[in-house]
Amino acid sequence: MAEDVKPTRKNLMAIEDRIELSERGHDTLEQKRDGLIMEFMDILDQAQDVRSQLNQDYETAQSKINMARAMEGDVAVRGAAAALKEHPEITTQSKNIMGVVVPQIESSRVKKSLDQRGYGLLGSSARIDEAADAYEELLESIILAAEVETAMKKMLEEIETTKRRVNALEFKLLPDLYENKEYIEQKLEEQEREEIFRLKKIKAKKEEEEKAAREEEGPETTPPETVPADD
Amino acid sequence: MSTAGGSNPEYVNARVRARSAALFDEEEYRKLVRMGPAEIARFMEESEYEEEINALGSRFSGVDLIEFALNRNLAKQFNDILKWADGRLYDLIARYLRKFDAWNVKTIVRGIYSEADKESVDADLIRAGEFDDRFLDRLLDATTIEEVVERLDGTMFDAGLEQAYEDYEDSGVLVPIENALDRAYYENLLDGLVVDEATEQYREYLEAEIDFRNARNALRLARSGADIDPADYYIEGGSLFSATELVTLAQNPDELVAKIRDSKYGDELSNALDELESASSLIGFERALESALLEYADGLGYVFPLSVSPVVSYILAKEQEVDNIRAIARGREAGLSEDEIEQELVIQ
Repeated sequence: MAEDVKPTRKNLMAIEDRIELSERGHDTLEQKRDGLIMEFMDILDQAQDVRSQLNQDYETAQSKINMARAMEGDVAVRGAAAALKEHPEITTQSKNIMGVVVPQIESSRVKKSLDQRGYGLLGSSARIDEAADAYEELLESIILAAEVETAMKKMLEEIETTKRRVNALEFKLLPDLYENKEYIEQKLEEQEREEIFRLKKIKAKKEEEEKAAREEEGPETTPPETVPADD
Repeated sequence: MSTAGGSNPEYVNARVRARSAALFDEEEYRKLVRMGPAEIARFMEESEYEEEINALGSRFSGVDLIEFALNRNLAKQFNDILKWADGRLYDLIARYLRKFDAWNVKTIVRGIYSEADKESVDADLIRAGEFDDRFLDRLLDATTIEEVVERLDGTMFDAGLEQAYEDYEDSGVLVPIENALDRAYYENLLDGLVVDEATEQYREYLEAEIDFRNARNALRLARSGADIDPADYYIEGGSLFSATELVTLAQNPDELVAKIRDSKYGDELSNALDELESASSLIGFERALESALLEYADGLGYVFPLSVSPVVSYILAKEQEVDNIRAIARGREAGLSEDEIEQELVIQ
């Protein structure tokens, strides 16, 4: 609120400094927002591809396991699944995209060869192999989708935050600062005008007093040389 | 009953003939394909599977009920045959049915490995092999894989299992144990089999089973691209490949297909091999192998009526019936179309 600011020259300078900083920040944030949106669009394309691949892999895996359960029996499929306790390992690192920290997910031991799946080769069938293959691919797609979609979500949050900051600067902070600046400038100008008026008044009063004093001293004394007023 | 005493194919064949007549025919499959899982269970309740559906109805529902009822009925039928058979006939039948012993031991080992509860492991057993209930319960009571291995001492799975257990301890995966159990089963199929006119066809069938198993395993290894020595997965007893041949052929799937095409199985598998060369999936080829085996089995019943052949023919037909009903029920549950399900069925 402009009325809350003390209309001093010091405050005016401080506000001018803040305006300069805010305008610079606004420009930078605007550039960041535009950059983030461009990066986001790239990630969005990638996320759409990954999501459609994920859906496709899910359909395939589901159809393969349905077929395996139908032809080999649920008991055989569950048995083959129970023959392995080892879980895939997932490690996360982070990378920086325009100041946004996004995860980078590395997975290992997702894809397994026939002799690493736990179930014996001699007593199993290609249906179980293909179901296992399809689920391994699905798991890889899920991990990739998790990475891309988390990055997308984080980018979106950052874009939202940046947009809010840009809007706050553009529609709240900068207008307030301009208003304060204008208020202080007006107040200072007003004070200046008042000061000049007061000085004039004092000067006029002084001159009147001097004139009255001279008149009291009498006509024999030579009148002093008159000095023209400044304005 | 046991290998002691004289062989009694006349008696067993007469009993089996009655059971064969109760197998589902094409018309019944056509009806089943159009039913939902609940209707299939209802249909089964009015057939040979009545007792099993009623006994399991309170514990399971939907397709699980159908699958467990099928497995239990299969076990009952095969146990009956083993009970009826004596002497050499028993030995011939038990050779094939021991695959359920291998299945049960694998299921128990997997249950211990994955820390599953005893009841759920028990439910998954198919008690259709030679091991009796008491022995299987003893195996079920084992709390470690080592105990299971110890309790199998003296059975046909004994050989090779100790080494496999050591490999399992080193690697932490069940592959060596499962492979040792399956290998023991396959290698005992033909071990010591006395071949005469009556069993010649049966031997041919068992040989085909081993050949097909070697062929599909070699193709699976070739397609997987894994760095695995195919010789480790070779089963002795077949007539199609030697171990060294298989090692070479597994590295070159085209040559492997050509070898099968030039073999005695070439004509029967010709279409499946064409499909295999153009498609990336092995499933169609496996289906063709199953069909070819079933055709063999179908022929078994007619040549020597007073031998093991009609019994084996019934056993294979019963297994196929169970596979078909399960495929229909699971297929319907998964929303597969009638055509898709029919394509997966193997009907004699």
